[in-house]
Amino acid sequence: MAGLDDVFGDIFSNVDAVMLFGPSGSYYERFATIDDIDVIVVGTENDLGADVFVELPLEFDEVGERISFGVEGGLEQGVIEGGDELVCATSVFDDEIDTVSRVRASADDRTGIYDLFAKSRAEPEVIKAVVELAIELGKKGQKGKPVGALFIVGDAGKVMNKSRPLSYNPFEKSHVHVGDPIVNVMLKEFSRLDGAFVISDAGKLVSAYRYLEPSAEGVDIPKGLGARHMAGGAITRDTNAIAVVLSESDGLVRAFKAGELILEVDPEAY
Amino acid sequence: MDWQTLIEEPAVIAAAVLALGLVVGYLVGRLNKELLTASGVPETVEGTPFERTAQSIGTSTVEIVARLSSWFIYGIAVLTAIHIAQLLDTDAFWNQVIGFIPQAFIAILVLILGFIVADKSELMVSEYLRGVKIPEVSMIPKLVKYSVLYVAFLVALGQIGVYVFPLLILLVVYAAGIVVVGAITFKDFLISGAAGIYLLLNQPYGIGDRIEVDDRSGIVQEIDLFVTKIEDDSEEYIVLNRRVLDDKIVRVRD
Repeated sequence: MAGLDDVFGDIFSNVDAVMLFGPSGSYYERFATIDDIDVIVVGTENDLGADVFVELPLEFDEVGERISFGVEGGLEQGVIEGGDELVCATSVFDDEIDTVSRVRASADDRTGIYDLFAKSRAEPEVIKAVVELAIELGKKGQKGKPVGALFIVGDAGKVMNKSRPLSYNPFEKSHVHVGDPIVNVMLKEFSRLDGAFVISDAGKLVSAYRYLEPSAEGVDIPKGLGARHMAGGAITRDTNAIAVVLSESDGLVRAFKAGELILEVDPEAY
Repeated sequence: MDWQTLIEEPAVIAAAVLALGLVVGYLVGRLNKELLTASGVPETVEGTPFERTAQSIGTSTVEIVARLSSWFIYGIAVLTAIHIAQLLDTDAFWNQVIGFIPQAFIAILVLILGFIVADKSELMVSEYLRGVKIPEVSMIPKLVKYSVLYVAFLVALGQIGVYVFPLLILLVVYAAGIVVVGAITFKDFLISGAAGIYLLLNQPYGIGDRIEVDDRSGIVQEIDLFVTKIEDDSEEYIVLNRRVLDDKIVRVRD
């Protein structure tokens, strides 16, 4: 086996830090005994109580996305620096860590996926809840039929001033927040309504049935996406909100920030 | 000696009472245990230090409480038997003892309950405060725990007739202190909370409206129980809800 170590040893020679994606407790303990190497734990919850921790907002199924989110989060938190050589240990097939890949952290080409969750106006939990809701809606549809939906999260005051009601607001004088279990059912039912859902920074459902009226100049979204995406993308350029869009035609969930497409996930993959 | 006289022999009656007491005591203990288990007490007390201590000496909270009820009945049976057999004949003494036993029983029960409630409330408070990352905050759960324990001890001591008046005064002073300090420090919050309930129920203004409060005007971004957030050109004012009601609110309509 010494021969294999020679070959694969290149992968983990001279690394600056190790990133563990969702390690088990005993796995993490084993790293604690190794000196002079930084260990960064990445996961949806810090249940190991690790000192250096990067939180994942979603269980990214795509390994590439998972790693790039972890690296961007690490760069943003300052636990790693641009140019660092990293070894990322993650799982592809089972729950246990079975894959190691070597990544060079670069501060230049970032996708902004970490910023979308951690550095938006709205609270990360709210964005996470909305993205999860959109994914769930995309998976099941409404009563078996595919639906589209448009959620505008954060900066609700400005968004309300840049939109007008299409009909009576079903959330008038109600105080429901995304993340409450009953609300997901409500939103699923309401998803047949036309227009956008407006959600405040703290997650309060401000309105449904909103017709967005942003100026669409200079919005660069991929060709082929429809009016819903255009409206969602454009309002994020005019305000500090982010838009989470579930496409009716291709079933993908996309998130926009500052007029740019940041995240694209396939609900079927989760 | 025939049947009749044998039955009327005090020693025999005493023995019968004793036997009956043992059987009833055992059955009550069993029944108690079943009832407590069925009503989910083991899950509730799980993880509390009292339960852990009980576990470490090979028993459990449910078992201790069940045993206690058994012993209580055993005790009564033994005392009654002794009384019937007239082994000792000082009525006044026995009356006292018989009067005292239920009190002691309740006192022990209150203590056990007190320990469990104290541990539970400590756990709940520390769980609630987990997000607050100030080292000093860990004092509050302890304080809650010992307050509950203090009250439990007081009730238990009062039950067995110990003179607790000075301790009671201490408790009153302590409680009054908390209420006074709480009322003073949280006055603004209480008023704001009341105002917030009005604002949330009646919604004189909603998210997206342009209002003017406290000489500050802007678009309402968020309303919660205590504060209203008003934003004006990337400046966000966080206004306590009591200010909203104290002052005038101007809704700017264009």
